[in-house]
Amino acid sequence: MGLLSGCATPGTRSVNASPVIAQAAAGEKVTLTYWTWLKDAQKVADIWNAAHPGVQVETVWIPGGNRGGYQKLYSALAAGGGPDLGQVEMRSLPEFMLVNGLVDLARYGAQDYSHLYDKTLWGQVSFTGGVYGIPQDSGPMATFYQPSVLDQVGGTAPGTWDEWAALAGELRRKDIYLDCFPLSDASVFAAFASQAGASWFRAEDDGWVINMTDDATMKAARFFDQAINDDLVQTSFRPYSPGWFAAAAKGTIASVVTASWGDALIKGVSGGEGKWRVAPMPTWAGSGFGSSYQGGSTAAVLANSKHPREALEFAVWMTSSREGIDAEISNSGIGWSPSPGFIGTPRQGPSDFFGGQRYNEEIFVPATQQQNTDWTWWPVTQQSFEILSDGFRKKASGTTLVDSIASAEQQIMAVFRNKGLSIRKETA
Amino acid sequence: MTTTSRAGQRPARQLPRTKARNNRTDGAARAPWMLLAPFLVLFVLTFILPIFVAVLSSFTKVTRSGLFGETGVESEFAGFSNYAQALGDGSFIASIGRMLLFGIIQVPVMIALCTVLALMLESASAKWPSFFRAAYFLPYGVPGVIATILWSFLYVPGLSPLFDIAALVGLTPDFLGANSVLWSIANIVTWSYTGYNMLIIVAQLKAIPGELYEAAKVDGASTFRVALSIQLPLIKPALVLTTVFSIIGTLQLFAEAEVLKTVAPAIDSQYTPNLSAYTTAFAYNDYNVAAAQAVLIALAAFTLSFAFLKFTNRKSS
Repeated sequence: MGLLSGCATPGTRSVNASPVIAQAAAGEKVTLTYWTWLKDAQKVADIWNAAHPGVQVETVWIPGGNRGGYQKLYSALAAGGGPDLGQVEMRSLPEFMLVNGLVDLARYGAQDYSHLYDKTLWGQVSFTGGVYGIPQDSGPMATFYQPSVLDQVGGTAPGTWDEWAALAGELRRKDIYLDCFPLSDASVFAAFASQAGASWFRAEDDGWVINMTDDATMKAARFFDQAINDDLVQTSFRPYSPGWFAAAAKGTIASVVTASWGDALIKGVSGGEGKWRVAPMPTWAGSGFGSSYQGGSTAAVLANSKHPREALEFAVWMTSSREGIDAEISNSGIGWSPSPGFIGTPRQGPSDFFGGQRYNEEIFVPATQQQNTDWTWWPVTQQSFEILSDGFRKKASGTTLVDSIASAEQQIMAVFRNKGLSIRKETA
Repeated sequence: MTTTSRAGQRPARQLPRTKARNNRTDGAARAPWMLLAPFLVLFVLTFILPIFVAVLSSFTKVTRSGLFGETGVESEFAGFSNYAQALGDGSFIASIGRMLLFGIIQVPVMIALCTVLALMLESASAKWPSFFRAAYFLPYGVPGVIATILWSFLYVPGLSPLFDIAALVGLTPDFLGANSVLWSIANIVTWSYTGYNMLIIVAQLKAIPGELYEAAKVDGASTFRVALSIQLPLIKPALVLTTVFSIIGTLQLFAEAEVLKTVAPAIDSQYTPNLSAYTTAFAYNDYNVAAAQAVLIALAAFTLSFAFLKFTNRKSS
């Protein structure tokens, strides 16, 4: 019978309706597990472990997000198990909430720590009065570029998207692409649309409100439709794929508009030392925001944790204390620190790889203050991005991005309704 | 049952020891079950039960209320609505169509190739047949994921020497384009499994009695004639078997597409039926629709294999 009760569709019981689990008794030894795709996360946990003999943390490496990590987390949750803590991207929190996979940390006093975190990020982990993850890192965006490649046409890092398009056209004459446009990863386009001022979803009392065809999104879509039509962007591979690394090393890809964590990946371009610089993201002249965000993750306490309170304390230590942030940067190379006051010791000062530029302080600190704060993630983010990407892929056969966004909106509304969630199109 | 009737045939020796004999027959009846138990337990738990759960799950629907289902989650009997949703999903249907196209081209090519290789290795004039047998079989020893990673480095422009070679003769191939990537996958699959299928056919060829070859020799048959009139008809069961396996394998294609996805933007999340079910279950968390997709894939594999067997049986009779 126990076996058969395990056969019910997973994720249909909410842990947040059960009583709060008390703190472990003094002297009781607690072992927490943390599934994360951060490199050498155990070294970070070991610093905590040395200071907290009663609460030991063991880390387990999982593949990054939707490349396999979530699949492992979801199937562990579906089986009634899984770790105490899991690394979950901001954008994926609502999806984990939908399968009742996360503990509402507000019930364990998470609000007491809210002042330690960037307001935008705290907003992205708070839903319907609860807190569902502790911000771990984020990804403010900027342009990473190779000055020597831009020099070939006498160019410099573009300040607006129009300048970007003009520069890309110049570079095409030398058989160089300024950047890629990843048709297969719509989240990048979403970041551009968000920068332009779009806000695709809004949570209202009577359900979700969707608006993917607003002026800002359409402006961005038309812009990249034109850029692809004019062959200004490389679409046959995406940033950080093997083909991209080869092209970046050869100088046939000049730049990449990406998040702050791109710095670690760009350091993997062979012979790239000293050749790259960082500039602010191009802007949509006169409207929208100065920067945007890509990625960004949380340490979330998962539904089957036996020790949510201790897990919360570890997550807060790791993401807000100076020693935690520094250890996460030097061992794991996390994205941007979620603490507004402390970017991390290794990120202060000039960078040898980027030719002595103090790019974190000069470029990314201002970028974090120029983001679209209205953007909300929604419960079927991954599926929405897949639907969008599937539409974008048809660009090669003549469909426009503008059209595929409009039809994706319809499909996404159908997905919401199939799950029983109510959704309506913005009327204005 | 059999033990009692056998006991009835030999009443004279039986009578004085009835009680002992009965104990022993009970034991004898239990023994096979006890020996089978480890297998049966695992078989039921890891095979029968999951199928049962998947079918059950495919008829269940979960409805949530509120923004995240926080105000209530309900599971109810769904009838065929999950199947309707799976079949109404253009990408899922497209993935099945894509695999049919793949199967129609790749399976015959692979079967023809492995048959030719097997016949050549088993021909009288073959040099070092055991060396080449091992060499052709070797790719099968490389796991599909590793094979795909290896091949992907040959498919990516800027990394692959193939592009430099093609440039010498003025060609610019695109192995990862929207129309070509399916055949790049077919190439990996063919590379991996031709040797394996070849081995099955070689085994069947070795079972052909030597007298048949001697008779053919006496009659003055050429090597080609021997292959056509003796070997091919006699290896038919092996050909049928390998074809059925390949049809099932085609519908279950997963690892190659999943791994090649990282370098081929043209491969979407529902490129193959299994990839589609995997994405639906573990990226979209829609276990019920994924279960319906899985049942549909199983039914399609069953139907195709059965149709192929029916087709070959009809032809032979």
